[in-house]
Amino acid sequence: MSAQPAPGGAGVAAPEVALRITDVGMRFGGLWALSEVSFDVERGSVLGLIGPNGSGKTTLMNVISGVYKPTTGAVTYAGKRIADVPTHDVCHLGIARTFQVVKPFASLSVRENVAVGAMYGRNGGKRSTRASFERAQELLEIVGLARVAERPASDLTIPDRKRLEVAKALALDPDVLLLDEVMAGLNATEVDEALELLRDVNRRGVTLIVVEHLMKAIVSISTTIVVLAEGKKIAQGAPSTVLASPQVIEAYLGSRWVKRQEQLKTIEAQRAEAVQIQPPEATA
Amino acid sequence: MSVASTGAVLRKIGLGGITGNRTALLISLGLMALLLFVPLALPGYQTLFRTTLVFVALAYAWNMIGGYTGYVSFGNMVFFGLGTYCAALLSARGIDNLVADIALAVVVNAAFAAIIGFPVLRLKGHYFGIATLGTALAVTDIVGNLDVFGGTGGLAVKQVDEAHFAIYYYAAWLVAAGAIAITFFVARSKVGYAFVAIRENEDAAAVLGISATKYKILAWAISAAIAGAAGAVYARGNGFIDPSIAFAEDFNVYPIVMTLLGGTGTVAGPFVGALILSAVNETLGHTFLKLHSLFFGAVIVLVVLLLPRGLVWLIGLRGGVRTWVKSLQGYKA
Repeated sequence: MSAQPAPGGAGVAAPEVALRITDVGMRFGGLWALSEVSFDVERGSVLGLIGPNGSGKTTLMNVISGVYKPTTGAVTYAGKRIADVPTHDVCHLGIARTFQVVKPFASLSVRENVAVGAMYGRNGGKRSTRASFERAQELLEIVGLARVAERPASDLTIPDRKRLEVAKALALDPDVLLLDEVMAGLNATEVDEALELLRDVNRRGVTLIVVEHLMKAIVSISTTIVVLAEGKKIAQGAPSTVLASPQVIEAYLGSRWVKRQEQLKTIEAQRAEAVQIQPPEATA
Repeated sequence: MSVASTGAVLRKIGLGGITGNRTALLISLGLMALLLFVPLALPGYQTLFRTTLVFVALAYAWNMIGGYTGYVSFGNMVFFGLGTYCAALLSARGIDNLVADIALAVVVNAAFAAIIGFPVLRLKGHYFGIATLGTALAVTDIVGNLDVFGGTGGLAVKQVDEAHFAIYYYAAWLVAAGAIAITFFVARSKVGYAFVAIRENEDAAAVLGISATKYKILAWAISAAIAGAAGAVYARGNGFIDPSIAFAEDFNVYPIVMTLLGGTGTVAGPFVGALILSAVNETLGHTFLKLHSLFFGAVIVLVVLLLPRGLVWLIGLRGGVRTWVKSLQGYKA
């Protein structure tokens, strides 16, 4: 990643930085949920954010989307510190998110839920109520919820609520879309559909930041992966290299597991040696 | 209203849309049109129906902030009271014009709501309710102790001669009709969706680009303006105002009960509730002089327990009693 600071954004050539996370730390009471996290997100890329439970992924999503103000450091987008922007204006900058714990407006219909986003999102000022509903219908068709458009949002199954979250976020016409575990609870076919949808969204020029537990899904969609563990960034790079990194394996499976793997390896090696020695005895 | 329970209720019924049940709305508009003929057909009941129309407007005022936006205000009588004093003060200065009364009441109240709303609307739930009640009580005391407002002695409000009294009735009708129209058009507009989004989940609304502070203040200002207009008309019709009339608890509690009974967050609900409760109140008030306030308490308890979505919701109910019973189970679960 390029290290030269470019405050004011407006990168002209080559990989343009959409979002810059600089030395972000987030403290809750005595606990640092995040510390010294820095990375850039290139425009048009798909960044996978992974890490074990409690590693600070959702906290980082909340910092990026302006829900939390970071204790140290800053997230900048197009030269603006997100912490300085009121929550309701973050989406007007072009950043949208979904929530891991879905938040539908229960008494509104599915279509109305999405239409609210279209009304008040980035292009909301230009949209009439009718145009917002038309946009909502388009998005419902894209995410596959058109069949339940008239139902109350509280009526949806969990996978459908996740789809609704995505549709609501897309209704804001974002440049950067933060997806917090939208594939959790989906079956294999649904995951494939979801991935296809996200690829399609990305092809339209939307930068994605994806938090997901499903390794297969995240590897297949991400261009870059950032790994968090205990609030710190422990690895960053292309999916294959990151997942092969011993540090990452240790973070996921524990130091004891790594040690045990090493022990197993030495035992294997010893056995192999032993086997090589033994055959003559056996034949004897 | 928790998300899960509301969902269980709505599952069977479907939604009436953001304006609520359409049949109920048409019935209400029909009745509203009929009310226009009261001065001609039932001149003896003019005062009664005028008061009813004032309550209709007050119920709509409360519905805007309490029903649509989900901020349960217990201090809306302060706006009614300020409205009555706008008319009384104009009258004391020799200005006797209903349009001026209403205009002043609307402007003063909207401004007052915006100023008070800035700190008060930061509070949620019970805290907001208590803060609004506190504000109302404080204003009542301030008004009662200032000579400009005539202190506790009150102020006379100049009226037209008896032969033209119907003008106050029509003014009340117009204010009530205006309240219904405003509610209808606001609910269907982008603004209405912002109010409902705030009611359902303020944080989620903010993420979708809705400035909660801005729209809450707007909802309260609209609520205050409607209540103020109702107050101005009431003062002219009554001919006299003092703090015990202007800030009477009735103008605070009745509109809430009426809206709950009819259906919160709907366009027809406040009208249906106001009409029914006014009628019942009038009958009971004659028969049992003091006991009738007990009745209101009973209505609140019964409505909250048995009909949390109000009477209007029953009109469009598919599946009859069974759906209703199921919906109650949903609420308890």
